[in-house]
Amino acid sequence: MTNFTITLANQGGAAFDVDRRKPLLQSLREQGVDLPYGCKYGGCITCAAKIISGKVDQKAQRALNNRQINNGYIILCVARPMSDCTLEVGVESHDKLYRNPFLDPLAAHELKADIATPLEDKK
Amino acid sequence: MTNHCCGPGYASPAEAMTAPREKLLYTIAIYTGTGIQKPDYLCTIDVDPESPTYSQVISRLQMPGIGDELHHSGWNACSSCHGDASMERKYLIVPGVRSSNLHIVDCGTDPRNPTLFKVIDGAEIKARTNLSAPHTVHCLGSDIIVSMLGDAQGNAPGGYLQLSKEFEIVGRWENSMGSIKFGYDFWYQPRHNVMVSSEWAAPNTFMPGFDLEEVGHLKYGREIHFWDFEKKEPKHTFYLGEDGLIPLEVRFHHNPDSSHGFVGAALSANIIHWWKDAAGDWQWEKIIDVGNEPHPEWPIPIPGVISVILLSMDDRYLYLCNWLHGDIRQYDISDPHNAKLTGQVWMGGLLGHAPEVNGVKVTGGPQMIQLSLDGKRLYVTTSLFSTWDNQFYPEIRTNGGCMLMVNCDTENGGMEIDPLFVVDFGKEPNGPSRCHETRYPGGDCTSDIWA
Repeated sequence: MTNFTITLANQGGAAFDVDRRKPLLQSLREQGVDLPYGCKYGGCITCAAKIISGKVDQKAQRALNNRQINNGYIILCVARPMSDCTLEVGVESHDKLYRNPFLDPLAAHELKADIATPLEDKK
Repeated sequence: MTNHCCGPGYASPAEAMTAPREKLLYTIAIYTGTGIQKPDYLCTIDVDPESPTYSQVISRLQMPGIGDELHHSGWNACSSCHGDASMERKYLIVPGVRSSNLHIVDCGTDPRNPTLFKVIDGAEIKARTNLSAPHTVHCLGSDIIVSMLGDAQGNAPGGYLQLSKEFEIVGRWENSMGSIKFGYDFWYQPRHNVMVSSEWAAPNTFMPGFDLEEVGHLKYGREIHFWDFEKKEPKHTFYLGEDGLIPLEVRFHHNPDSSHGFVGAALSANIIHWWKDAAGDWQWEKIIDVGNEPHPEWPIPIPGVISVILLSMDDRYLYLCNWLHGDIRQYDISDPHNAKLTGQVWMGGLLGHAPEVNGVKVTGGPQMIQLSLDGKRLYVTTSLFSTWDNQFYPEIRTNGGCMLMVNCDTENGGMEIDPLFVVDFGKEPNGPSRCHETRYPGGDCTSDIWA
């Protein structure tokens, strides 16, 4: 199987058949979905979307901190599907993407992966 | 005009100050990050008080694609080419910091309706130079250099892209980045054979937004670099430490013989001054320190975040914006070691001092500024960077940015927001957009360098 179905929950549940080898941004735009994007290499967050169900491979992203990942954000320009997925896309999905750092600081484990301190395993 | 030769710009800063009053502004406006799926664009704004369309956007030039995030811009030629009759200040180079596309805009053929002359594709720049995220543009007498904040994958420190005057990619300008960790702004002072560069962060760090916690992990800059300009390599670095967190906008005195210059440390909210001492060594000191302000409900006090500084053409006044506090300040720096606060106005900001100005709700704070050549009119816009706007001023999505004008007293010091001038980018035809850097057709206080 080379394709998965991507359902866009906030676009009336529209469903798209996508190639698992291609980044989701590319696949969806090729099928006429008008999505925001910026850098196209996984570094700038403009294309962030929220994953409601399913799994993606987004190892190439450099933009998200761990809190954003825990809140379900994925970077469409580099994320490839690993299963059927349901997504919310566009800035309507960005309710938890941005935070004021003076109001709402990150905990050490919520930083970006390269500098985060892992939570200690509970034994 | 008193020009004796036919090149662009002016023979001296003093001559620039006598130029005719600006009648048009070019200001970039963005939809990137706003939810509106339209290209960013370059606005032409009428600032001729005699005109029926005064204080209005009179034309809009859309870029070809979406998602560029237009940010800063620069002229193809400035007063550094004043002696060269073959040069003309005609093209504005308008980079997209996210896409890395460079848009070459013809503002000379019809100044009221600029047109797109050429696009240098970001993918080509990455492929040929391994650089991305273009920021500051300066002309160098004929060629043009652009500070590029990342490599092709958004990692620091990036480098400098050199373009020919025909807008062909020459390659990397610098011979070495030395031990520089980050790039951002730069300014050169040829009579001292020096260029000074500052540090923001890697694109992969700042583009997604501001995680304050990353400052402590050394993901943001705190150094400035003095280059051997002719050798195109860094020669000396000043570690500014806690006094110089995130040093952004770099300004030398306009006077080409002066060695004095300044940088605004955004997060420390300090102004750092440097100069060459009698022994020929570079020195630095902090001359302005804006204190953090407590917020009743937030655990961390709010820094000013000095997002921009600017010097008047006579080098007498320094202006700075505290983007998060909401004030613009004017300091008399006649003695550059002793800055004296001479004026202050408020617009927007997080402290709530001026939520509405001239009938428009100000969302964001004072951010990019551009001063008229005679020093009397300061044009101000309110958006910083799409992702950072979204963090600190989320209502900007529905309200858009705005432009205001501040009248500056050049005799006695002092500032006052002009009550008749406002451009509300919340009412743009395609929906609320955000305005950022401004240029004047005849050159301005951050464009021209004298060789």
